[in-house]
Amino acid sequence: MTAPALPAFRRTPLRRLAGVDRLAVAGAVLLALIVLAALLAPWIAPYPEDGGSATHPLEALLPPSGAHWFGTDQVGRDVLSRVLFGARTSLLIAVAVLAVSGVAGVLLGVVAGYAGGWVRDVIMRVTDIFLAFPALLLSLALAVVLQPSVTTVIVAIAVTWWPWYARLTASVAASVSTRGFVDSARCLGVPAPLIVLRHVLPNSLTPVLVQLSLDGGGVILTAAALSYLGLGAHEPTPEWGLMVQQGQSLFTTDWWVVTFPGLAILLTAFAFNVLGEGLRARLSR
Amino acid sequence: MRWHKRLLAAGAVAAVTLTAAACAGGKVRGAEDSPQSGSSAAPAGGAADSTFVYVPNLDVVTDWDPASSYSNEIIAMQNIYESLTRYNPQTKKTEPRLASSWTSSSDGKKWTFTLREGAKFHTGKPVDAAAAKAAIERTMKEGQGAAYIWSAVDKIEAKDPATLEFTLKYPAPLDLISSAGYASYIYDTTAASGDLKKWFNEGHDAGSGPYTIESWQKGKETELTLKAFDDYWGGWDGQHYKKVAFRVAPELTTAWQLLQRGEVSFVQRLNAQLFAQAGSTDTVQTSQTPSFQNLLVLLNTADGPLKDVKLRQAMQKAIDYDGLVAALKGAGVAASGLVPEGLLGAAAGQTPKQDLAGAEALLKEAGYGPGGKRLELTLTYAQGDADQELLVTLLSSALDKLNVKLAAKPLQWTTQWDQGKAKDPSKRQDIFVMYWFPDYADAYSWFVNVFRSEKDPQFNLSYLKDEVIDKEIDELPALTATDQAGAEKAYADLQNKIINEQAAVAVPYVQNYQRAYSKTVQGYVDNPAYPNVVFVYDLKPGA
Repeated sequence: MTAPALPAFRRTPLRRLAGVDRLAVAGAVLLALIVLAALLAPWIAPYPEDGGSATHPLEALLPPSGAHWFGTDQVGRDVLSRVLFGARTSLLIAVAVLAVSGVAGVLLGVVAGYAGGWVRDVIMRVTDIFLAFPALLLSLALAVVLQPSVTTVIVAIAVTWWPWYARLTASVAASVSTRGFVDSARCLGVPAPLIVLRHVLPNSLTPVLVQLSLDGGGVILTAAALSYLGLGAHEPTPEWGLMVQQGQSLFTTDWWVVTFPGLAILLTAFAFNVLGEGLRARLSR
Repeated sequence: MRWHKRLLAAGAVAAVTLTAAACAGGKVRGAEDSPQSGSSAAPAGGAADSTFVYVPNLDVVTDWDPASSYSNEIIAMQNIYESLTRYNPQTKKTEPRLASSWTSSSDGKKWTFTLREGAKFHTGKPVDAAAAKAAIERTMKEGQGAAYIWSAVDKIEAKDPATLEFTLKYPAPLDLISSAGYASYIYDTTAASGDLKKWFNEGHDAGSGPYTIESWQKGKETELTLKAFDDYWGGWDGQHYKKVAFRVAPELTTAWQLLQRGEVSFVQRLNAQLFAQAGSTDTVQTSQTPSFQNLLVLLNTADGPLKDVKLRQAMQKAIDYDGLVAALKGAGVAASGLVPEGLLGAAAGQTPKQDLAGAEALLKEAGYGPGGKRLELTLTYAQGDADQELLVTLLSSALDKLNVKLAAKPLQWTTQWDQGKAKDPSKRQDIFVMYWFPDYADAYSWFVNVFRSEKDPQFNLSYLKDEVIDKEIDELPALTATDQAGAEKAYADLQNKIINEQAAVAVPYVQNYQRAYSKTVQGYVDNPAYPNVVFVYDLKPGA
């Protein structure tokens, strides 16, 4: 479904900008706002210390008001501040997982795709094994074995995530490898590693980039799920999944504790998805 | 176009979240707009109709056998069966039930109970000493559930139809033991010709209490109904509820709506927020009573960093006791030592306070704390328990300030317990959080089960091993049976050793029972010795 992306690169930057999908722009702007909120959390959070280890049990479960726009949680921490600080944790997890699994997956995939033969077979069978497990189950198993922490979450998700990129890259790289310019390079005696890095890799990246941006939301949701099950971030680290988990029993009486972190997850996953879809629509044109 | 679907789904989720949030913020919905569940439970209001409708949040019956029953069915069993005595938490003494009086020898090893005249089992047989002996002996022989409470008993003799004599292996407070919530029931062991256990579990009873089983349908919303036993020894003069229905409502909000609508009489449990709402509702009354259940934070005395008593003391000081009780919003009350108020051995004035400076000083002495090495500790607690979660949040936040990282894992009880009992000590946790409550109204349970040394730990999950403490614990039953003042002193001394000297445990709070019930119910008193039980016969249906 992904046509060669070459024509897109021949356009001038201006023309490219004019043609960019509105959807992608909306996603990018939303994501930029979330990133900005995460970066500026210590300065824009009304109670920055509540994003850390402060507790105020005497002010527990105050409803949203002028002093606490999103109310306070079970131990009296400002929910808005924790949602803002939580953006840091969630985005950190998303970026780290995508970076680790993206790099690992793309490298293995491009090697498999270019080399073919038994190299390809070995790498692809390994990815098959990983893909045979339900991703969340494998992450869960890993998270149970390791101590619960943000690092654990990153490792646990990255382990289940890279095979998708490996497989995607391998298929694209295999078709790129048969193209004329790769043949020419080979005939000119360019060493294989250089061909992979200079010619095959850059031309195989587009679908992976789209997939990466589409997956940002998925990673955040999986991380939230792990935290929700008590296997991810732990107190007092502000993390959206953990906040939802701790607030769920209060939903009918103190709705704000669970609703705002839940909306934050929704919004971020949504932003990633819209950006990804926009990019895909744009690049496959 | 796949993204359209995704957008649609995302939008739908958002809409649902927002709507739910919107209606949850306001008042709970009234009777009109909530569809009826089509249950058969009769309304509870008005004196003319005298069904008492009890709303538990878990299924009622798991085991009908009075010998082994050890679970939620206690709320029904205590209305069907009777024990020899009953504990009164106000006087801290036992009161007559099936036994009208009793005496003990001065060494506490021989107990003689005189049985009430005219008591009958629901099978029609009289409750005499031979029947009581047979029931207790069957319970002991089955050896399940709380049957261990009778372990001091050497011999039971029915001297005459009204006199039951116990000879004990060692002195023990048998009047207290006979008042236990479980395994103390007197029942007709000849009720069935075949397999008695099977007969019980088909939904039959052989008790002597004021009510007997009318219908039992497992899994139904109205799981169980009881009807008055006409020949009850107490008689049915005056005003009594003639029927008891148990209507299960897993959702606390559902339970609260049922009560508000006057469809039910009594709600076992609400959360602090709904309880506050109940307190300001005209047709509803509330009661809040400290239970005999407290939270224990057990510190690993045998292995890992907490082997150092200084670090254990630092943990005790890091807990925000006042903050926790405030955040519990009435669901708990500050604890004073290991023994809850209302039991022999409870010591006032031992309520701990958070002392972060003190904790920091102790950590520094051990080489940790701010500027020192980072201390990493593991903690396990009950999954889904919001109250324990509060403790974990407060403790990990406080420790974070002291350069201590607390890795807290919420676990299912069996997993948590298995890890605590692990053969390899390095696999065990540093901090184990659990509730504890006694099977009969006696503080002994906390000491013998939780702090007496064990070769293979069961509940001694602080892994305390101290011969002096063991010896003192072993003397407790005899002291309780023969010398109450001596027992008080021994309990005080033991608590000082375990909490202050050994720092094996921190006790953050005692749970409060928060009940909401209809204004028409008169005479309800919560008896924490029988968790969640309403003795329905003692109530009056009012107007």
